Amino acid sequence: MKKNAVHGIVKTFMLLVMILGLAACGTAAQPEPPAQPVDATVTQAQEQEPPAGGERVNITYAMWGDASEVEQVRQVIQQFESEQDWISVEVINIDRGDFEATLNTMAIAGNLPDTAIMAEPMVLNWAERGMLLPAGDMFAGFPEEPLEKLGFRWDGETVGYSVANELLLNFFNRDMFEAADVDVPPANVADAWSWDEFIDTARTMTLDTNGNNAHSPNFDPSNIVQYGVMFDPAIWMLEVWALANGGGWYDPADPFNVIIDQPAAVESLQMIADLHLVHNVSPQFGTNIAATIETYLLENAAMYINGQWSVGVWLGPAQFSDGLNYGVGVLPSMQRNITMATGGVNVAFSTSQHQEAAREWLAWYAQVENSWAMIESGIWMPIFPIWYHDEAYMRRWAENPNFPPFEEYRSAVINYALTNAVPTSWYWVNNTELFNDVLSTALAPVWSGHSTAEEAINGAIGALRAANRGN
Amino acid sequence: MQPSPTKHHPGKAEKQEARTAKLLLIPAFMGLIFLTYLPLIAVFGISLFQWRVPGTPSFAGFDNYRFLFTEDFFFWTSIRVTLLYGFLSVAAGLVYSMIIALLLNRPIPGRAAFRTIFYMPFIIPAVATFLSWSLLYDGGGIINNIVVMFGGQRTHFLSNEQTIIPALAMVAVWTSGNLIVIKMAGLGNVPRTYLEAAEIDGANAWQRFWKITLPCMTPIIFYNMLMSLVTNMQIFVPSLLMAAGGGAGAGTVPESYLFMTFTMYRTGFINGLIGRASAISFIFFILVGIFTAILFITSKSWLFYEGGDPK
Repeated sequence: MKKNAVHGIVKTFMLLVMILGLAACGTAAQPEPPAQPVDATVTQAQEQEPPAGGERVNITYAMWGDASEVEQVRQVIQQFESEQDWISVEVINIDRGDFEATLNTMAIAGNLPDTAIMAEPMVLNWAERGMLLPAGDMFAGFPEEPLEKLGFRWDGETVGYSVANELLLNFFNRDMFEAADVDVPPANVADAWSWDEFIDTARTMTLDTNGNNAHSPNFDPSNIVQYGVMFDPAIWMLEVWALANGGGWYDPADPFNVIIDQPAAVESLQMIADLHLVHNVSPQFGTNIAATIETYLLENAAMYINGQWSVGVWLGPAQFSDGLNYGVGVLPSMQRNITMATGGVNVAFSTSQHQEAAREWLAWYAQVENSWAMIESGIWMPIFPIWYHDEAYMRRWAENPNFPPFEEYRSAVINYALTNAVPTSWYWVNNTELFNDVLSTALAPVWSGHSTAEEAINGAIGALRAANRGN
Repeated sequence: MQPSPTKHHPGKAEKQEARTAKLLLIPAFMGLIFLTYLPLIAVFGISLFQWRVPGTPSFAGFDNYRFLFTEDFFFWTSIRVTLLYGFLSVAAGLVYSMIIALLLNRPIPGRAAFRTIFYMPFIIPAVATFLSWSLLYDGGGIINNIVVMFGGQRTHFLSNEQTIIPALAMVAVWTSGNLIVIKMAGLGNVPRTYLEAAEIDGANAWQRFWKITLPCMTPIIFYNMLMSLVTNMQIFVPSLLMAAGGGAGAGTVPESYLFMTFTMYRTGFINGLIGRASAISFIFFILVGIFTAILFITSKSWLFYEGGDPK
């Protein structure tokens, strides 16, 4: 009783503080769903099955997106509401930059929505605390289960599937390669460049103000106008290079065993840093904060390693607005040909008073035809196997003016997704956001050449292990 | 022997006035209590709990403080860079604003226009300011082009530990238009009679500034210093932009961006470690309090009030 009273007081105070904090951070006000107990469990809200009397239930879906994305989702919801007669869905749109903060605040206030899209690093933390409904049997009434690798699992249970199957890929500016008379990055994984071949090509494609490439003795590394390759600055993407080099950041047999200090992972980080420090083919990692991928591919870089969503977000539209002639290839290999898959997750909260309705909405929404606008634009890739196996499905999806030529895309993306993509660690490792925060700061001096990857990782390994355990 | 003061008996009108004043002060006091003091107490209270959202809190005594002081990867760095940036930006901002205010205090043509130009950066949104400066500081930006033109090496001003804090302090200096306006008002209040008397006595411009203008300006400088310190120690936007909001898209965040407000925000709002974030905020509050107290205590030795110390 006393403990409950203390918790109540703390929650009240905290709610006040969080509201003030959010107000200070400029968070938009959100509609207020009815108050729910924060620590409600699945068993506390079991009385919400489909009503026999035909009464509609209202559920909420929290998402991030610009006005057009929200409108698209609203249209999908209208379709959903017309296909059944007992669930209505209300969209709660939250600014992407405030999404985690707002969801955390809603949890403290006991005002969580029924369903939400969730950024990947949050999922297992919420699953560990019993806040997510099981999703393993969610697709029982539908033709197919999603690809198995896209399921987030905690304690042996699937708690959510990614809404999209995104891959890390090597995008390139075809015109720049043609101008240099150089072969474009291979689309077929069997022809993937070795790391040395990748560096060699990147050197050819890196140009200084006098037009000398990085092979030339007259090359001026302090006046580069076109880089061979650039990388998205997100830290989590670097894990793919540890995997490619035969290592990893976590032991696949034990998510609480951090192995980023082993030679393969450390060497992979140094190899990325050396692209700038030794080979002069890439800007310092993490420095491109003020522009987007299409800007760089149009003007400053021959290749850009980033996620598949770039097709829909930047590159497809830039073909029409700026005449960008882009293509896509597989990643270069180190010891292995590998890429990583990921995608935001649609989850249903265990605090929902309408759990069956929440799960039904999410399962329906996950069907490709119901998120077609996102898939057609190239922002999402389908999550169901048939879209990767049946040519008619593939063509319906990827034979599309937003995309690179179909055969290239099929080889470099669709086939690659089936044969060489492994899930990013946050599908099975908790606390990756804490881990990545430590890593992002620890590696900063590596990118600038002030320390080696080995020194940086050895200096931070204690903090990385603590972060992996939630500290 | 001084005569004992006669006791003042307020009249009816005076009592009514006092009652009205008390009534009108109630909203302000309510605001102070509910928006400042209670949250402050709450923050301290919450800092004594282990609480990771969406879980429930459990009492942990001073464990969050112990963790921060002995194990946390970011904490000491965060204090170091916050203080370094705070001192650098305050010192540079004070010198810059004094120089500009002195120049604008001269009878120059277009004085009002210049005053507006120097004030404008202060009202530009922080995000726009930082993004604009990040383009200037970029590897191919205008600052690097000037450096190369004079034979220097290109530098990633916003990525290298050695240059980040000075580069950000430079932005703070650029945005210190408010300090310039306040100092100009202060300069207008320096008594002309002192300056004229000193001039007649043969004091040169430097001596007049050092012996008369500066001492008369010390209350203004004190106020500027206090406000700048509190404001600059709360620097937040550059770190947020550098980390791309944190979470899944977090980018490289060099040590020099680990300002306390950012660390607090990321720990609490992004990573959901509410107890630990509250401990950071409480320590930040104490730290700002300590430096404010130091400023007040030391000010007695250098603050000059023309009309005498107001006590």
